[in-house]
Amino acid sequence: MKPGGVLKQARTSAPGLLVLIALVVSVATLTIVAVRGHPPVSRAQQVQQIAAGLHCPICKDLSVADSPAPLAQQMRQEIASKLGAGESADQIRADFVAAYGDSVLMSPPRQGLAGAAYYLPWLVLASGLIAAGVLLRRWLRASPPDQAGPVTSELSEAQLRTVANAVAQLRAEEPG
Amino acid sequence: MAGVIALVAVIVALLATGLGRDPSVIASPLVGRAAPNFTLPQLDGPSVTLSKLRGQIVVLNFWASWCTECQVEQSALDRTWQQFQDSGVVVIGVDFEDTAGDARNYVRTANVTYPVVEDAGARAALAYGLRGVPETFVVNRSGRIVSHVVGPINAARLGNEINTMLDARSR
Amino acid sequence: MSQLGTYLLVLALAVSGYGLVAAAVGAKTGRPALVESARRCAFGLLAAMAAAVTTMLVALLTNDFAIRYVAENSARETPTFFKALALWGADDGSLLLWNLILACYIAAVALRFRRDRPATFPYALSVLFACQVFYLILVNGPARPFASLADPPADGRGPAPLLQNHPLMAVHPPFLYLGFIGFTVPFAFGIAALLSGQGLDQWVSLIRRWTLVVWCFLTVGLVLGALWSYSVLGWGGYWAWDPVENVALLPWLTSTAFLHSVMLQERRGMARLWNIALVIGAFSLMTFGTFLTRANVISSVHAFTQTTVGPAYLAFLALVLLAGFGLVAWRLPTLRTPASLTSAISREGAFVANNVLLLAATAIILVGTTFPLIVQAVSGQQVTIGGPYFNHSVGPVFLLILLLAGTAPLLPWRATNYSRALRRLRVPAAAAALVMIATASAGVTELTAIAGFGLAALLFVTSAQEIASGLAIGRRGERGGAVRALARGRRRYAGLVVHAGLAVVAAGIIASSGLGQQTQVTLKTGQSTVFAGRVLRYQALRTDQQPQRTVLTTTVSVTNPSGGTAGMLQPRINLYPAATAPIGSPSIRRGFVWDLYASVISLQDNGAMATFRFYRNPGVNWLWFGGLVMALGGVAAAWPSRRRRSAGSGEEAGAMPEPAVARAGAR
Repeated sequence: MKPGGVLKQARTSAPGLLVLIALVVSVATLTIVAVRGHPPVSRAQQVQQIAAGLHCPICKDLSVADSPAPLAQQMRQEIASKLGAGESADQIRADFVAAYGDSVLMSPPRQGLAGAAYYLPWLVLASGLIAAGVLLRRWLRASPPDQAGPVTSELSEAQLRTVANAVAQLRAEEPG
Repeated sequence: MAGVIALVAVIVALLATGLGRDPSVIASPLVGRAAPNFTLPQLDGPSVTLSKLRGQIVVLNFWASWCTECQVEQSALDRTWQQFQDSGVVVIGVDFEDTAGDARNYVRTANVTYPVVEDAGARAALAYGLRGVPETFVVNRSGRIVSHVVGPINAARLGNEINTMLDARSR
Repeated sequence: MSQLGTYLLVLALAVSGYGLVAAAVGAKTGRPALVESARRCAFGLLAAMAAAVTTMLVALLTNDFAIRYVAENSARETPTFFKALALWGADDGSLLLWNLILACYIAAVALRFRRDRPATFPYALSVLFACQVFYLILVNGPARPFASLADPPADGRGPAPLLQNHPLMAVHPPFLYLGFIGFTVPFAFGIAALLSGQGLDQWVSLIRRWTLVVWCFLTVGLVLGALWSYSVLGWGGYWAWDPVENVALLPWLTSTAFLHSVMLQERRGMARLWNIALVIGAFSLMTFGTFLTRANVISSVHAFTQTTVGPAYLAFLALVLLAGFGLVAWRLPTLRTPASLTSAISREGAFVANNVLLLAATAIILVGTTFPLIVQAVSGQQVTIGGPYFNHSVGPVFLLILLLAGTAPLLPWRATNYSRALRRLRVPAAAAALVMIATASAGVTELTAIAGFGLAALLFVTSAQEIASGLAIGRRGERGGAVRALARGRRRYAGLVVHAGLAVVAAGIIASSGLGQQTQVTLKTGQSTVFAGRVLRYQALRTDQQPQRTVLTTTVSVTNPSGGTAGMLQPRINLYPAATAPIGSPSIRRGFVWDLYASVISLQDNGAMATFRFYRNPGVNWLWFGGLVMALGGVAAAWPSRRRRSAGSGEEAGAMPEPAVARAGAR
C-alpha cells in the first residue's frame, strides 16, 4: 500500500518528509484558492467594500460600513446611487474627498508625505530583521565561554548519580 | 547620550504640536472652491437651485429642528436676512436629517423669514462635507465658497464679511 | 467632604515626598534607617489614598454636589451601582483611582521586601515614590477631584450615558489600570539597577514575577475592553483600532517580548542590555499612552476631552524617556555581556525572532497611531489611519508570530537536533494542512483567513502536544508523576497553556473578522426577515421610564426555519436627557460557534417601524475564552512555588547564568 509505505518511511527515516508534504499541501491550497479568485460581488457587497474604506465623519473610529449613525446610512445610500449612476469606486471616493477632505478615507492617500505610511511597516520589519541578523551573527562568531571548567571532585558518587538522573529526566522532558 | 537627548527632543517637539489644537476640528476642503450645486424643494414653495443664484451672495446655513445650537444662531440669521436681503444677499436654510413636519413647526414657532429647503437623503449635506449642525457656508457672487463656520454663527462677524464683499464689488 | 478629600491628598503628597527624599538619601548615603522609614511611608500613603478614595465614594453616594466632580459626573437619579462607578468616569476621578492603585503597588513592594531586600531596593523605592509624586501633584494641582463649587446645584449632570449603561464599567478600567500602573514596579527596579550599578544580573529574576502578574492584569483588562466594545457599543465589533486602544496594546506587546527575552538572560546570561531597555520601553509606552489619552491631542472614543494637563503629561513622558534611556546609555559599557550562540536555529534564536516580531508589531502600531499627528505637524494635512491600514500591516506580523510560537517550543537550547524537531513537528504540521484544506473547502476565499486558521491549528496542536508528552513522560515514572512533572515544569507548561489560549484567540479573531455577515433592514411590527438561517420577526416596542433614562426595548423573535422558536432578541435604545443622541444597546444570542447580534438603529412612527442591524459573528466567544485561558496560564506561571529557593531574597540567587543542574526543576 503506497500511502502507508510513504507514511512509514516518513515516520522512521525522513521525519522531515511529512512536514514537507504538509507544507506543500498548505501552499498548494493557498495557491488554488488564490487562482480560483473571488465570486463576483453583488451591488450590496460593492457598497460595503467602498463604505468600509470611508471613515464615518461623525464617529470616532468606525467606517461608514460599520457605523449605525444616520449620516453613515445616508452615505451608504449615496454610494449605492452613485454606483447605479455608473461611477467607479475611485470616483466615488474622490467625490467624498472633495467634500470632506483626505481624512474621510480610512487609509491615507498614497501620494505625498502621507503615502509614506505604506512603506513604514516594511521599513520597520526590515530594520528589525537586519538588527537581529547582526546580533545573531555577533553571537555566533563570539567564542563560547569556557565550558564546565576542570572537573573538581567536590561531588560525591551519590551526588553525581543524582545529577546524572536529573539530567536524564530533563532530557526526556524537554526536546533536544 | 547625546543621541538619546536629541531623539527625545524630537519626539517631544512633535507631540507638543498636538497640544492646544482641538483634534476634532477638521478643515473643510471646500473653502476657495466652487460651491456644489443643488436643486432642493422649499418647505412651502418652489425649488431653489444654487447655480441660479449666481450674482448674489449666498449664506447657506445647515440646521435641524432637533439641534439646540441652531436655535442659538436663529436670530442672528434672521437679522442678517433682514439687513441684507435688498443688497443682493440670500440666506438659505438647509434642513438636515429632519422630518418635514418638525421643520415646519420650527419655522413657524421661530418665525423664520428666509427660504428653507429640505434635503432628502442628505445629498446636499454630503456634497458640502457636513459633519453636524449647525454649519454655515458663505458663497460669493461667482459661486465660490469663501468661508465656512462650524457651530452657531456670530452676527457681527457675518455682517462684516458680507459688507466687505459688497464693498469690494462697488469699488 | 471637599475639605477632607483635599487634606487627604495633600497628606498623601507630603508622605510620598518624604518617602522619595528619604529613600533617595538613604540609598546614596547608605543609611538603612532612612530607607526603612521611607518603606513604612508606603503604608501611610496607602492609608491616605484609600481614605481619599473612600471620601469620594461617600460623596458620590450621598449626592454631595458641592464637589464639582460629583456635580459633573453623578446625579440623584443615577442608580447606586453607577454612582459608585462614577469614581473613575472622568479625568479627575480616574486619576484618584490611578493614585490609589499606584499606592497599592508601592505598599506591595514595601511589604514584599520587609525583611531581606536587594541592594537596589532603596533606589527602586525612590523611583516609585517619584512617580507617585507626579500623579499626586496632578490631583493636588491642575486636576483636583475635590474642587468645590461655590453654588452647588440641586442635581448633578450625571455620568456620560455610555458609562452608566453596562456593568462592565465596573471591571474594565480597574483591570486596565492594574495592568498599566503595574509596569511602574519593573521600571523602578530597572532604573534602580542602572542607578546603583548593582544587581544588573539579578534584577531580572527579581521583577519577572511582578511583570508576569502585571501582564495578566493587562491581558484581562484588554479582553474586557474588547468585550465592552462588543456588548455595549452596538456596532457588532470589538476592536476599532481606536488610538487609545492601540496605545493600550503597546505595553502588552512589549511586556510579552520581555517575558520571553528574560529567559535568554536567566538561562544564558544574554540580552541584559536589551531586557532593561525593554522594561523601560514598556513603561515609556504606558506613559505615552496616558499622555495620548488625557492630553486631547487625538480624537478618540476614550479621550478625556476637557483637560489642561497635557503639558504636564508630556513633561513626565520626556522625563521618563530621558532618565530611562539616558541611564541605559550611561551604563552601556557595563551592560554589554559577552554572549555566544552555537546555532541560530535554537531556542535562543526563536526568542530573538519573537522579540523582533513583537517589537515590529509595536512599532507599526505606534507609528500608525501617531502618524496623523506627525503629518499634521509637518505638512498641515489631515489624514486618517484606520482599521484597514492596521489589519494589512500588522496582520501578517501576527501570522508570523503564530508560526513562530507554533514551532519554537520544539527547539532546544543551544543547538537543534533537526530530525527530532521535525519529528515533533509532524502532527502539528499535518493538523495545519488539514485545517487549511477544510477551511478552503468550506468556501473561505480570504487567503489570510485560511493561512491564519492553519497557523492557529499549528500553534494549538504544538502546545497541546508538548503538554501531553511532558505529562506522559512524567506519568511513566512513579504514581503522581504527571502532577510532579507539571509542578516541576510549571513555567513551561503554563507558557504552553498561554500559547494554546493565544491560538484560540487567533482563531476567534480570524473567524470574526473575515467570516461574519451583517444586514440592515427596516421592519414593520409583525414583519419578519430571514437572516443567517433564522426568521427574525419584529414583534413589539416597550417603553420603560426610568429615573435616569427612557428605555425603548424592541422585541424580535428568533425562529428556526424548521419552526421551533430559538429565542428572543431585545435590542434597546436608551434616551438620556443629557445626551444629544440616543444610545443603543445591542442584544446578543451567544453561541459556541457564532453569535446572533442585533442592534436597533432607529424607530419610526412611535415604533410602528424599526430599522435593525443584524449580525452573524462567528468565533467571538473563542476570543473571550482564549483570553481567559491566556490570563490563567499567566497566573499559573506566576504562582509562587511552594519551596522558596533561599529564605532571603527569594528569586535573586537563582538568576546566575547556567543554573546548576539541581535547580533545573525550579524552572
